[in-house]
Amino acid sequence: MLPSLEELSAWLPDLLSGLSISLQVTALSLLIGIPFGLLLALGVLAKSRLTKIVALFLVEVGRGAPALVLLQFIYFGLPTTGLTLGSFTAAVIALAWNTGAYTSEIIRASLQSIPHGQREAAVAIGLNRLDALRYVLLPQGLRVALPALLAFSILIFQGTSLCFTIALPELVSRAYEIGSNTFRYFPALLAAGVLYASISIPAALLVSHVEKRAGSYAQR
Amino acid sequence: MTEDDALAAKGAPSEKGQARKPLIKLDKLSKHYGNHTVLDGIDLEVMPGEVLAIIGPSGSGKSTLLRCINYLEPPDGGHVTIGDISLNAAAPAGRSELSTLRRSVGMVFQSFNLFPHMTVLRNVSLAQERVLGRSRKNADERSMQLLSRVGLADKAEQFPGRCSGGQQQRIAIARALALDPDVMLFDEPTSALDPELGLEVLAVMRELAETGMTMIVVTHEMSFAENVSDTVMIMADGKIIEKGPSADVMRNPQQERTKRFLRAVHDR
Amino acid sequence: MSTADLFAILRGLPWTVALTLGAFLVGAVLGVPLVAARQSRILPLRFLAMIFIQIVRGIPPILWLFIIFFGLGMSVFPISPFNAALAGLGLIAAANMAEIYRGALASIHFGQWEASSALNLGRWSTLTDVVAPQAFRVALPSAASYLIGLMKETAVASTIGVSELAFQGNQLSQLTFRGLEVFALVGMFYILLSLPVAWLSRVADGYLQAKVAR
Repeated sequence: MLPSLEELSAWLPDLLSGLSISLQVTALSLLIGIPFGLLLALGVLAKSRLTKIVALFLVEVGRGAPALVLLQFIYFGLPTTGLTLGSFTAAVIALAWNTGAYTSEIIRASLQSIPHGQREAAVAIGLNRLDALRYVLLPQGLRVALPALLAFSILIFQGTSLCFTIALPELVSRAYEIGSNTFRYFPALLAAGVLYASISIPAALLVSHVEKRAGSYAQR
Repeated sequence: MTEDDALAAKGAPSEKGQARKPLIKLDKLSKHYGNHTVLDGIDLEVMPGEVLAIIGPSGSGKSTLLRCINYLEPPDGGHVTIGDISLNAAAPAGRSELSTLRRSVGMVFQSFNLFPHMTVLRNVSLAQERVLGRSRKNADERSMQLLSRVGLADKAEQFPGRCSGGQQQRIAIARALALDPDVMLFDEPTSALDPELGLEVLAVMRELAETGMTMIVVTHEMSFAENVSDTVMIMADGKIIEKGPSADVMRNPQQERTKRFLRAVHDR
Repeated sequence: MSTADLFAILRGLPWTVALTLGAFLVGAVLGVPLVAARQSRILPLRFLAMIFIQIVRGIPPILWLFIIFFGLGMSVFPISPFNAALAGLGLIAAANMAEIYRGALASIHFGQWEASSALNLGRWSTLTDVVAPQAFRVALPSAASYLIGLMKETAVASTIGVSELAFQGNQLSQLTFRGLEVFALVGMFYILLSLPVAWLSRVADGYLQAKVAR
């Protein structure tokens, strides 16, 4: 059942290059998605009705529909409008949208958790809206949001496995390919699982550590 | 003794040859929350250098009045005039007008509202850099002067969370002074403090009053109203019940409502 | 987009619902012994449960489905796509429900345990009579939002051939070359499916809160 050493050494380069693609998609999705989430959060909190509706729509669809469907919508759907994207680009767009939708809720909740007096004090010392956000509200809000954002990053890392369905040669695709070539599905998939777990589990432990620290920070 | 005599006796700055004009003027200022009237047509004048204490039972509208003066809560009727700026509550206030208004008004809150993620120094310097456009170096120099003035220069590099409540409130005063405001508003500055910590804040406020700063102080500290302020104003139900030189109002109130309130406070 | 196309997608609906509810039920039931082990006084048991939960959550759902369907199914015992998906998602749900239960138990104030010991209630009675009913109310909203998350997660079952919503969408998109409309519609179905769950959760929470308030 378990892969032999020879098998492992034969498969590992393939699996690792798959993992590297998974990590690249994760990093880009977060790098684009979290700032997008901030924009969406501000959009939802905006006074302008149109901005609010557009932001709410992007948030509700981005987290209401399964990431798998977003992925296929962008990869298989957009070409019918004449816009064809590579699977890597499609993966980043779909997962960044998904990230933006979820993180906008996280960021919005943490901005709203800041005591009202902070905004008042910022206004009273004459800061304009943008400065109040930049210097007073966001630094505090992001500190509150940090554990949840980190926890979400793990989910997005795991979510890259869905890119199997759009033929992106990431970790699951590589393991599946090895399986179908050798008929050694179980050991190949297991090896991929170990690689996922070796990143997800330490990351999850880190998140719970950060959560505890954030908790004690809030009590100070 | 009239109000003006009281001011003159205390040596409030009044330039000779120039007609004395109020620094702050409120005309028929009103504020409603739904059907509830919080401020009911307040008329008020505050002279340059005057220290006005506002006292009254809770829910009388005194904090709201203070917050309407710098438009933290926009009033819904009447006029606010501070120096050369005049805002009509009926019309929406423009951004630049509001910014000028807030620059000339410093505000100190009951719960300090220091920014917990910045050092004490950054708390005081931030608005100088972002609003006045001072360089970091100049802002920090000015901030150190202000912190020395409230006796807390040694806390400059600490975070507010490490300071006592009284220290935090003194830092908040330094922060409000950093924009060189024409008037300082204090919203129950000692209510969240233990009595002995309140004393150090009151001492700073007394010094500030002696330098001729125009101040409006919503307070429960009767000794401050009686000994430091020039004028005392009693509010109830969104109206001014009585206003006059502090000694007169505190020792010899004319209105029945004022007498009852002062008696209740003394009995406590 | 014709009505026939709409019905083609709708054929996936019962499978999505069955898979969601089935996996949730498996998870809600298996989560109980799992959280008991996780909170056990016996250290090795506690440790094993913790490792188990971490590993289950540390591997993406699609990979669990592949491991069960292709890995085990092709070498150890043949398994139908639906059962493989049910097993995989049920396993993941069990780990997640155990964590939800644990969070709910932790939220019960320590004083409740103390008061119960003072009344000499005993550990079991304290748990079933005092702590669990309170924890249930705390767990309900998280469990409901997890149910919605799980419903969206079932879309991965399409990759091993369970003919649920996403699978039908895929088929139709290849048939009609109109992926944009098809996947938009499929996405909308998932969003529509989550509405009754969210509504029920709010109603139940309101009801339980009113009961406590009285």
